[in-house]
Amino acid sequence: MAGWSMLKNGSDVDFGDISNRIKGGGGGDSCCLDSNHSVRDDSGGVNDTDGVDYEDKLIGLFDQVIKVFLNAAAYRGCSRPIPVLLADGQSLDLLKLFWVVRERGGFDMVSGFWSFVAKELGLSARFAAPVKLVYFKYLYELERWLMRGRRVGRLGNGKYPSGGSLGFLSPEVETQFRSLLSLGYAQREKDGRLASFECKENGRSVMSLSDNIAELRVCNGIEHRSTNDGISFLDNDEKCYNYDADGIMILDSRDSKKEFSSRKRKRESLSEMLNWVIQVARCPEDLSIGKIPPVSNWKDHGVEELWIQAIRAKNALLHRRHVGSKSVQLLQINQRMDPSMYEDPCHSTDQSAERLRCSERLPTVVKPNLCSCCTSCLTPQGQKIHQTKTKFESELKEHECAAGDLSGANTYLSPSGDENFRRYVAIGPRFQADVPEWTGMVHESDSKWLGTSVWPLKCGKQNVPAAVDCIGKGRPDICGCQHPGSVSCIHFHIAERRMKLKLELGPVFYHWRFDRMGEEVSLRWTTKEEKRFKDMVRFNPASLGMCFWDEAHKYFPRKSRDELVSYYFNVFVARRRSYQNRVTPKDIDSDDDDSDFGSVSDGYGIEAITIPGDNVLSCSVNMECTDFA
Amino acid sequence: MGDNGSGASLPSTGTDAKKRRVTYFYEPTIGDYYYGQGHPMKPHRIRMAHNLIVHYALHRRMEINRPFPATPADIRRFHSDDYVDFLSSVSPESLADPSHNRHLKRFNVGEDCPVFDGLFGFCQSSAGGSIGAAVKLNRGDADIALNWAGGLHHAKKSEASGFCYVNDIVLGILELLKVHRRVLYVDIDVHHGDGVEEAFYTTDRVMTVSFHKFGDFFPGTGHIKDTGAGVGKDYALNIPLNDGLDDESFRGLFRPIMQKVMEIYQPDAVVLQCGADSLSGDRLGCFNLSVKGHADCLHFLRSFNVPLMVLGGGGYTIRNVARCWCYETAVAVGVEPDNKLPYNEYYEYFGPDYTLHVEPSNVENLNTAKDMERIRNILLEQLSRLPNAPSVPFQTTPATTEVPEEPEENMDRRPKPRIWHNEGYESDADEDEKPPTRFSNTVNQPVVKEEMRDDGEDDMEEDKKGIL
Repeated sequence: MAGWSMLKNGSDVDFGDISNRIKGGGGGDSCCLDSNHSVRDDSGGVNDTDGVDYEDKLIGLFDQVIKVFLNAAAYRGCSRPIPVLLADGQSLDLLKLFWVVRERGGFDMVSGFWSFVAKELGLSARFAAPVKLVYFKYLYELERWLMRGRRVGRLGNGKYPSGGSLGFLSPEVETQFRSLLSLGYAQREKDGRLASFECKENGRSVMSLSDNIAELRVCNGIEHRSTNDGISFLDNDEKCYNYDADGIMILDSRDSKKEFSSRKRKRESLSEMLNWVIQVARCPEDLSIGKIPPVSNWKDHGVEELWIQAIRAKNALLHRRHVGSKSVQLLQINQRMDPSMYEDPCHSTDQSAERLRCSERLPTVVKPNLCSCCTSCLTPQGQKIHQTKTKFESELKEHECAAGDLSGANTYLSPSGDENFRRYVAIGPRFQADVPEWTGMVHESDSKWLGTSVWPLKCGKQNVPAAVDCIGKGRPDICGCQHPGSVSCIHFHIAERRMKLKLELGPVFYHWRFDRMGEEVSLRWTTKEEKRFKDMVRFNPASLGMCFWDEAHKYFPRKSRDELVSYYFNVFVARRRSYQNRVTPKDIDSDDDDSDFGSVSDGYGIEAITIPGDNVLSCSVNMECTDFA
Repeated sequence: MGDNGSGASLPSTGTDAKKRRVTYFYEPTIGDYYYGQGHPMKPHRIRMAHNLIVHYALHRRMEINRPFPATPADIRRFHSDDYVDFLSSVSPESLADPSHNRHLKRFNVGEDCPVFDGLFGFCQSSAGGSIGAAVKLNRGDADIALNWAGGLHHAKKSEASGFCYVNDIVLGILELLKVHRRVLYVDIDVHHGDGVEEAFYTTDRVMTVSFHKFGDFFPGTGHIKDTGAGVGKDYALNIPLNDGLDDESFRGLFRPIMQKVMEIYQPDAVVLQCGADSLSGDRLGCFNLSVKGHADCLHFLRSFNVPLMVLGGGGYTIRNVARCWCYETAVAVGVEPDNKLPYNEYYEYFGPDYTLHVEPSNVENLNTAKDMERIRNILLEQLSRLPNAPSVPFQTTPATTEVPEEPEENMDRRPKPRIWHNEGYESDADEDEKPPTRFSNTVNQPVVKEEMRDDGEDDMEEDKKGIL
C-alpha cells in the first residue's frame, strides 16, 4: 500500500494542490490516510495537520524507529553513536539522508551516485564514501525492513517475520511510521524542500509526462510467466516480450504517461527497436540507419528514436548483470567496499542471518519459471521498479554529461528486490572437494571411525525378560490412573517406563544419559533455584530485546551453562508445553524461545493443572529420586 | 499404499525385507549443545529423536555406536586449513579478541552461524558420525547407517553457512568414495543442498540431487539449470519447488526421478539427507509434507538395496523433527511403529495429541500439476543425456554399449528407457515398484524378500572379497 500511494503522489504532484488531494483522498492517498485514521484516532489523523506538524511527527517517529534499530545493533555489540558526525565535525541529518536515498530507490539503487547524495545533503562530493558508510550502518537495515514490510503487506502471505529487531516496535508506531513516510514522500516533493536538483527533477517529470515516452524496462520475466510459456499478461492490455529464450528476462515497453493509472502501452516500439538492432547488426554500414549523435546531444532526442531505445535496453540489461553480481558481493563481503565497513561483524552476517531462512531475506526474487506463486506480487513490484526508473532516467538526462562519477556500468540500477538474480555455483579449487579418480583400488578405512560400540550389549547380559514390549509399540490405550491424562498420570507413566528401560539397557541407560533427560533434571535443582530460573526468564523477555542467557551467570553463578541448557530443555520447556497442552492446546510452540508464554508468568501453571489431592506425582518422583541419591 | 489419504506411506510392513543391517551413530552429549537463545537450530532435537527411538524399542534392531570425534586433520580432507584452524580455536570467550573479527566475517561466522560453547565438539561429533557411517558401509558391516546429527549440507569449503560449519556429508561421501565408485547424494531438506552440490559440482563420481524450495529463499542456489560443470556436467540435479508442497506432489516427482537416477547412474552407495524442515508446520520451512510423505523417500531409496547412509539436516519445529527421524529410523529397520507415542521423557513436547504422526495443514499447494510435470520432464531429459554408469576407469567414450558386467554390481541389465512413466502416485508403488535392475537374479522370489536380501548380502560379501 505504501508503495501505491508513493506512486500516486509522485505522478500527481504537479497537477494538484496537495491538500486537495489529501482531502479528496483519491486512489492511493486514501489508503494511507485510512490507515492513519484507524491507527491514530487520538491525534486526529494526519490530514488535519499542516505540513510543519507533519514534519515534526515524522521526525519524532523517525527518531523513535531509528533508535529501535540502533538499539538492536547495540545489542549485537555494534554501537552507533548519535548524532552522526562527519570528519569535519558537521553532523549528518539521518532523516534527510534516508529521504534522499529512499527517493532514489534505496541503497542498492544509489550505489555509484553517492556523491549526488552528499551534494543533496549540502555536503561536498568528497563525502560520498562516508555518507554511504553511514547509510549502510545506520539506515540500511531500516530500509530493508520497510521494503520487506511493504512486500509482505502486498502479498499478504503472512510470512512477516515476527522475530528480530522488528518485534521491538509496537504495531501502532510501525503503521504510523510507514504511512507518514509514504505521505511525506509526496509532501516533500511538493514543498521542494530538497535541493534544487529535486525541483529540476520534478520539472522534468512534468515534461516526461507530457511526452509520450515509451520506456524500456526490465522486469522480472519469470514472475510473469507462471501460467503460460513465453508471453504473459500483466493484464489484458499489457504484453511482455520474451527476450531471452530461457525466459530469464522480458523487456516490455510502456507508455509512461498513463503508466500508473490505465497502464496502456505501446507495443510496437519495442519490436521496432529490436528490428532496428537486427538491421544494424546485419548491415552496420547501411546509410539508412543514420548516425548516432554524440552523447552530449542525446537529451535533444526523444525516446521515439530507435537508437535511444536500443541504448536504454542495452543499459538496462547491463545493469541487471551488475546488480546481480553486486548483490552477491554484498552478500559475500563486498571487497570494493570501504575498508572501514568491516570494523564490526554485523553487516555481512546480517545479510545472511537466520531471517534469510525465513524466506524474506534474499534481496532477490528468484522464481523458477515453473512456479505460480508470484503472479500476485508482480504488479506492485513492476510498478515500483518502473517508477524509480522513470525518476532515474529523468535524473540522468540532467546529469548525464556533467556527472563525473557516473560509471557506465552502474548507470542503471534497480532495487535489488526485483532482481531475477540467480546465484551461481562457484567453481575452483577453493570450492570443490578433491575427489580422486577412481582407480579400482580400495582404500582401507581407519577402524577408529567405528567409534564406541554401545548397543547391543557386549557381555551377553542383555536383559531379555525386560524386553517384553514389542518393537514399535506405543502406549496402551487405557491406563488405570484416577485422572488419565493429567500431569501426575503422565509423570507416573513416564517414571514407569524409565524403570523398564533402565532394566533393559543397564549401563547404557546412563551412557545415553537417560538419567539426564526429562523433568527429572529438576531434581538436582532446589525449589528456590527453579523459581529463580523462572524469574530470570520472566524479567528478561526477548520482546524487550533481552536475553536471559546473558544474565544466567548472575542468577546462577555456580551452575554451568550445560546445566542451565539442560534444565531449560528438559524441564522448563517441557513444563511450558505441558501447560500449553492443557490450557492453550490450539496454540503450542516448542520452538520459539523468544515468545512469551502465559505459563511463564503464571508460575508455569503446573499448579493450576494439577488436580488437588492427587499425590501420585510426588510418589513417583520420590521413587526415581533414589537413583540420584 | 497411498490409500490412507496422505498419499504416501509405508506399505504394510513385512513385504520388504526387514533384515537390513542398520547401524546408528549417536553422541549422548549432542543434546546439550546450544546455538543460543532464539536460534532455531536446536541439537536438543537429536536427543529427542533418540529418546523416541529407544522408547519404541527400535534400538533392538540396530547396532548403535558412539561416533569417534573427527579431528581437525580429518575435517581438512574437505575444509580449508585456515577455516579448520579457526573453527577449532574459536570460542565465545575468544570472540572478544579483535583479531578474530576479520575471521568471523571471512568465514561467515556470526549471527546465522554463531560461535557457541562447544562449537567444535559439536562439529566433530556430527562429522565423526557421518564418516563412521561411511566406514560402516565401506566395510560392508551395515546396509543402512544413520546419523541424525549429520546432514549439515550448507557448510562450504572455507565458510560456514545456514547453521552449518563442517560439512559432514562431504566428509562422509569422500570416505565412501574410497571404496565406492559412484555415490548418489539425495537431499530432501526444504533448503537447497548447496554445500554438497558445490563440493562435487565438477565430478561425475558423485551425483547430487536436491529437492528444495526455490525462489526468494535461502540459500538462493539450486536453479533447475544448475546441472554441474566440467566432467560433472549433468551430474547435479536441482528440483525447485514451491510453497505448500504436499505428499502426493512430492511423491509424484521424487519416485520417477529417483527411479531414473538409480537406473542411469547406478550408484554404489546412496546418501540421503533427511532435513526435516520440509515437514508441514516447520518454523522455517514452507512445505506441507507429512512424516510419512517425508519418510517415503527413505522408504523408496531403501528398496533399491544399495548401501545407504541416512543423515539429519534442517528441522526447526523440534517436536516434528523428533517424530520424523524416529519414524525414519523405524522405516530403516523395517518396523511400522504405533501412532500413539510411548510414554517418554519428552512426552509433553508432543501434546496435545501425543501421536507420532501429525496431520499436514491445509495450506494451498502452489505446485501445480502442470509445474510438476514440466519439472519432471526437464529433469528426465537431463538424465537421459547421461551416459550410463559413468566414471568407469579408462573409458573415454560414453557408454554407448552395454556396461560390461561388473560382478560387484550386478549391473546385469541395462536400464530400459522410460520406466519412470510409472508415475509414483497412481501406481500401487510398494516395494514392488522397486527396480528390477538390481538383484534381478532374485526377483523370482518376490514374496520371500528377506531371503532375497540375504542373497544380495551374500553377493555383496563375495564381491567385497573380490575387491579386497
